[in-house]
Parts: sequence; C-alpha cells; structure tokens
Amino acid sequence: MRNTLLLFVALTSVTMAVAQDHGGHQPTRSGTLPTMPSDLPRWISSPGADHLFYKAAPYNWAIERIPPFAQDMYGTGVGHAMAYEALVTGRKAQLETKVFETIDRVLQKPPRIPVDEAALSPTFVRKYGYLEKVFDWAHILHFQTIDVLMHPGWSDAQKEAEIQRLWSFYSAQPYAITGLPMNMEYLDSFPFSGRFRSNYPKVNGLFWGYHWLQTVNYDMLFRVPVQDQAAQYSVLGSQYRTTELYRMRDFMPMTAEMSPRFSKRFPMIANAFDNLHMLHDNVNDILAAEELTEKQRQEQVKIAIYRVLSSTHKGHEPGSGEDVPGSLHDHRHPTSTPGMGFMRGMEDDVMYMSGMGWMDMSVCAHCSIPLPDGPMWGATVTADGWTMLVRCLMCARDMAAETPGRAIIRAATEDPSRILVLISDEEGILTSNIPGVVFLEEFGEHPECSAWSRAFTSKSAFDQFVRENPDLAQSKPLTLDAWAQINRGTPDTYRKIDRPNPYRPEPTTGGSR
Amino acid sequence: MRLISVIATGLLASVVLAVDHNNVDSGRPLRFDDAYSIAYRERAFETGFTLDTFRRSSPKYGLKTEYKYGFAKSQDIGIGFEPSYSTSNRRGDFGNVELSYFNGLRREIDDQPALAYRLDVGLPTGTGSKGVEVRARGILTKTVGQYDKIHLNLDVMTSTARIMDERQTTAGITVGYTKPLGYPTQFDRTLVAQFSMEQSRDRSRDWVGSVGLGIRQQVGVRSVLDFGIESDVFETKGRAKSSVRFAIGYSVGF
Repeated sequence: MRNTLLLFVALTSVTMAVAQDHGGHQPTRSGTLPTMPSDLPRWISSPGADHLFYKAAPYNWAIERIPPFAQDMYGTGVGHAMAYEALVTGRKAQLETKVFETIDRVLQKPPRIPVDEAALSPTFVRKYGYLEKVFDWAHILHFQTIDVLMHPGWSDAQKEAEIQRLWSFYSAQPYAITGLPMNMEYLDSFPFSGRFRSNYPKVNGLFWGYHWLQTVNYDMLFRVPVQDQAAQYSVLGSQYRTTELYRMRDFMPMTAEMSPRFSKRFPMIANAFDNLHMLHDNVNDILAAEELTEKQRQEQVKIAIYRVLSSTHKGHEPGSGEDVPGSLHDHRHPTSTPGMGFMRGMEDDVMYMSGMGWMDMSVCAHCSIPLPDGPMWGATVTADGWTMLVRCLMCARDMAAETPGRAIIRAATEDPSRILVLISDEEGILTSNIPGVVFLEEFGEHPECSAWSRAFTSKSAFDQFVRENPDLAQSKPLTLDAWAQINRGTPDTYRKIDRPNPYRPEPTTGGSR
Repeated sequence: MRLISVIATGLLASVVLAVDHNNVDSGRPLRFDDAYSIAYRERAFETGFTLDTFRRSSPKYGLKTEYKYGFAKSQDIGIGFEPSYSTSNRRGDFGNVELSYFNGLRREIDDQPALAYRLDVGLPTGTGSKGVEVRARGILTKTVGQYDKIHLNLDVMTSTARIMDERQTTAGITVGYTKPLGYPTQFDRTLVAQFSMEQSRDRSRDWVGSVGLGIRQQVGVRSVLDFGIESDVFETKGRAKSSVRFAIGYSVGF
C-alpha cells in the first residue's frame, strides 16, 4: 500500500512538473520516464577510474599556437563541472547568481592550462563517475581534432587522414558516443527535458555559449593554413566573450550549423559532438528535476548515456530510421547535411536556426539557389554568431556587408590548398590572407554565379581561368579594394521561409533573415 | 647542480605533456600516493632532486627518476633510479633500481573511498646493497569537505637479505592531505602535507615520525613542478634525528 502511494505521488509529481514547465517550448514531451534497458553496458557498473590517455602524436597541444583560443577552450571545462557540483550539493538556489558569476568570471578570465573537471566536481564525480568517463573521452576527441587541424607542417590530406584515424581510436573504446545522426527532438522529449534551461537560463546560456565556441572553431581551422587561423580567432573570440556567452537561444548550437564545411567532411564527428552536447543537456535536466529521487536520477543518467553510446547503435546506418521516426534509432539526416540529426520541425533540408529563422541548408543562404554538389564549393560567411554556406564570393561579400559587426569569409580559390580568408572590421573593410588575391566578378545570371564570381591567388591564375573560359574573355581582374566596393544587395532569387519558431509556438517574426 | 638544471631545461622543452597537479605520486614531493594510477596508454617521466640533511653527518644529494607506463586501465608499471652523492665520503652511488606496479582497484563512489595498492621491488644495484627489497603499499583516498582529500598509505617492507642489527620486515603508515589552492578562480596548484610513521630498519631505533609540506604547481599543459620539505619530529625510542629533506621535482606525461 505504501509503495503504491509512493508510486502515485511520484507519477503525480512528474505529471505536474511537465504541466508546470514554464518554458512552454516542449510541445511533444513524453509524460513517462524512460525505463532502464536490458542491455546496459557492463562498464557502467565498473568501479575503476579507468582514465584513458589521448593518442600519442606530434600534434598534441597544437591548440596552444593560439593562446587566447586555447585558454577559452580550457575554460569550457569549468562551467559544467561547477554547475553539476552545485546541483548535487544542494546549491541550486545559487545557480543563477553566485555560481553563474563564478563560471562567468572563469570564462572571461580563463585558465592558462586545461582544468581537471573531476577535481572541480568531486561530489558529482563520486555519484556519476561513469558519466565522467563518457565526457572525458569525448572531450579528448574534441581537443585532438583541433590539435590536428592546427598542426603545422602537415598537408590537408594528412590531417584529414589523421582525423579519420582519431575517430577510429576514439570509437574503439566502450565510452564512445555514436557518430550516427540522432533525432534531437526525441532526445529532448522526456519529462525532465528543458528543465534546466527553463529554470536556469543564464547558466544554460553560458553552456550553450561555449558549445558555440566548441563547434564554431572547426570551420575556422578546417583546410585553413595554420598561419591564417589566429586572425580569425580575434573575431570569434571577441564574439564568444561579448555575445555568445549571453545569447538566449532556442536550442543548443549544432556543429553543422556552426561549421558546415567540417561537418560535411566528417559527419560522424559532428554528430558525435552534437550527441555529446545533448547528453550534457539531458544530464543538466535530470539533475535539475526536483521531482526525481536520487535513485531515479542515477537511472536516468545511465539511460541518457545508453541512448547516445556507439554500442547502442551498432549495426545501424546513417540515414536509416524512416520507419521509426522520432525514436532511439531515428538516424535520418537532412539530405544535404549528413552531420546533423533531425531537429524539431525539420523537413528534409529546411530547419529552424536560432537567430536566423527557417533556412534551407541545400541552397545558398544569400540567393536561395541550390548549392552545387561537392565538399569545397563557394564560400562560407561567419557573422553575428552564425556560419552560412553560400554559392559564390559575391553572395559572401554582400551577405557579410548586410550583417552588422565583423565577419569572416572563407572561400575556395583555384588552388585547393589555399583557402581565401577575408576578415572585415567594424566598418566592413576587408583584409585578406592572400596578399595578391584577385577577383572575377562578371555579373550575369544568378544560377551560374559560382562560375563568374570567384577568387584567384594571383593574376596569372586569373588569366589562365579566363583563357579556359572564353565567355569571360572580356573580364578584368579586380583587386580586393575594387571588389569590396561592389554591393549588389539581396538577390531577386532570395526566398525567405516564413514559418513560426517551432521552439516558441507563439507568433514571432521567425528570425532575422 | 648544473647537470640538474640542464636536465630540467630539457624536460621543460618537451612537446607533448601529461600529468596533473591534483594526482599525487610518492616522492613528488612527499612520500605518499593517491589511489589513482596514470591513464591507460599514458607514459610519465618523473624526476626530482633531493637534499637530505642530518644532524650528525654531512648532507646527501639524490636524483630520483622514474618512468611509468599505463599498460591497462587503472594499472601502471614503472622503473625508477635514485643515484645519490654523499658529501661525507665524497662518493656517488648508483642506488637501487626499483620496479613498480600500481593497481587502482576502485574510484571514490558515493561515501566509499578510492582504493589501490602498489608493489615495489628494489634490486640490489646500489653500493653495498644486499638482497631484494619488496614494499607492498595499500592506498586509500577519500574526499573530505568540498575539495580536500586525505590519503592513507599502509606499507610493509621486507628484504630477502638477513643483516645483523637490521629488521628484515618493517612497517609504515602515512596520512597524506591534499588541498587545491586558488579555487574557484585558479586551478593549477595543490598543497600537499603528510604525517608519517615508519619503523626503522635499524634495530637500535624504533618508529620514526615525520611531517612534510609541499606544493605541486602545474607549469605546462601536462607538466608539474613540485617542492617539498620533510622533517623527522619524533622517535619512539631515542631522540629525534632532526633531519630535514628537501625535494624539488618535475613530472611530465606524454
């Protein structure tokens, strides 16, 4: 009788908590707690500390080549550790005040060396040591992929081959998170989901702010010569510390949103990072859920780990899951973006991006014309916290110009090993990493823009391209200054997708674009 | 001394680093271990200069160096050397070669402490050394308060050599204490302290009590500098020897 009464009280409190969740952003949340799977991996019960070391390699700690970036990344180890410790030591009431201020202070003045997260959250680790194994191992993958991309002296091909080996090294351990895309709406659909971000929005903002940093950096580094990486961080680091840490988002930043080029090349790594960040969110929510008992919290954390483990999804393939939508094995992804699971409201390539509104990822973000196939077309624009794929340099320039603040344009040139990096200042004045860069812009039909709007590393490269394309025989090379003066505005082909924000059902403008 | 500075400079220039100021190994700088091994596949190199002073004899200099390898999860093996130089007889000694095995049995879980043990075998390679020395150490680590930890080390040492006026088997107990300094704004320094009682090999003496204090300072992404001082404070039979031992060391993982 007593057990029945307790069960009734527990179920009632869960139901009430769901009903009372004042976030109001979770229309498809389940009302029942997930149950423990029968095939929970045995290592979760292992009492050993079982620390794993990173792959020994010459590139380790290459991140220190950009000290402010390294330190900001080291600082990210502090946030969750401090918040988790506060949550398990009865200091929830201080999260939005004292704990927020402490984390914020560390993020603004980050440590010069990596921080041992377990040392900062000893109570949490005593309770959830198995979770720390998953986090630690994934964080090592985070750092080592960055180190490879920042390692001088290796070609892009060598770096990409090594990242593939790193993925194998990572995946060989039982703590590895799956590289399959997972349905984010499903992973955020449990009775406790959204609790942390609703109750502690400021601290959650910091978490998602540094998840932004952890995901935006890959396109800063990917196929960009090491000498051209640091200048970009002056823009991104400033954006991180002044804006992104305090931005109120609808959903966590996704790797493919922030680093689309890297995510296309290594979709499994992008997916693993998103699944890792979602596991962080799940754990935040479980710890913040007042109605759960300690035993329930332990169980739900284990189940949350199970959901994203590589071993759970053995035998499944990316893109599968149409027959089981919105479930554990829904591994569908947008056609154009294999490095992202399905999001709330997503229809194939059309998704809602926080701050941008509804975007079709298969088309140019500026002119809405489909992006060509291939991994290295056109350009990307990073500005105001977002990164977008565009078809050509003209679209990149004009899109950057219409966005307040500094911007970074990364674009292909005729030389696959030389990525053009243009950085604008507050007035929109561009500087280039290639001193002799020349541009082709022979304005014509927009669907062919990627043919007549291009960058070249030298005048001779421009001349050769023109010789090979007789239609452009009359074209003149443009210097950076001359090219930067042009602005053709928003193309007629641009189509805004006007739908309500799926995370905020009330009418909104749907985003800035 | 010049040699030491040359070695230290070379180590500081190492490219790939490991080791953490929070994880304590015996000799770096005090004599206790915590209950955690180095990571699986980690290699660590620990070296340190020691200066032992004695009330009734001249100082002795030592250079302890140890290489460790995490060959399995929560387990590591190591080999150590401790050459020394005594000013009283102006002689250097290669010292014993020490082989070690560490097994971290369990981490701290809820209120249960972390447990580990280590075995050290000292090979008689030093001047005048006889027999093989074996030390078995049981280790317990438990958090006290928010971040501080105590580390209980229980030792049994035995030698295969029977030497007149020396005990063949001795025991020891050390209570170590670690406290991170600078939280929650700095994360690179740990205070270490210990109280230790060790049974003397010399049958004319009994238990010797000592205290120690030190700092472990992270100096690179995975490298640590340590400083420590130890002193005997009492002896259950006879008067305290008042020896003071200084240690300065450097650890790097790769």
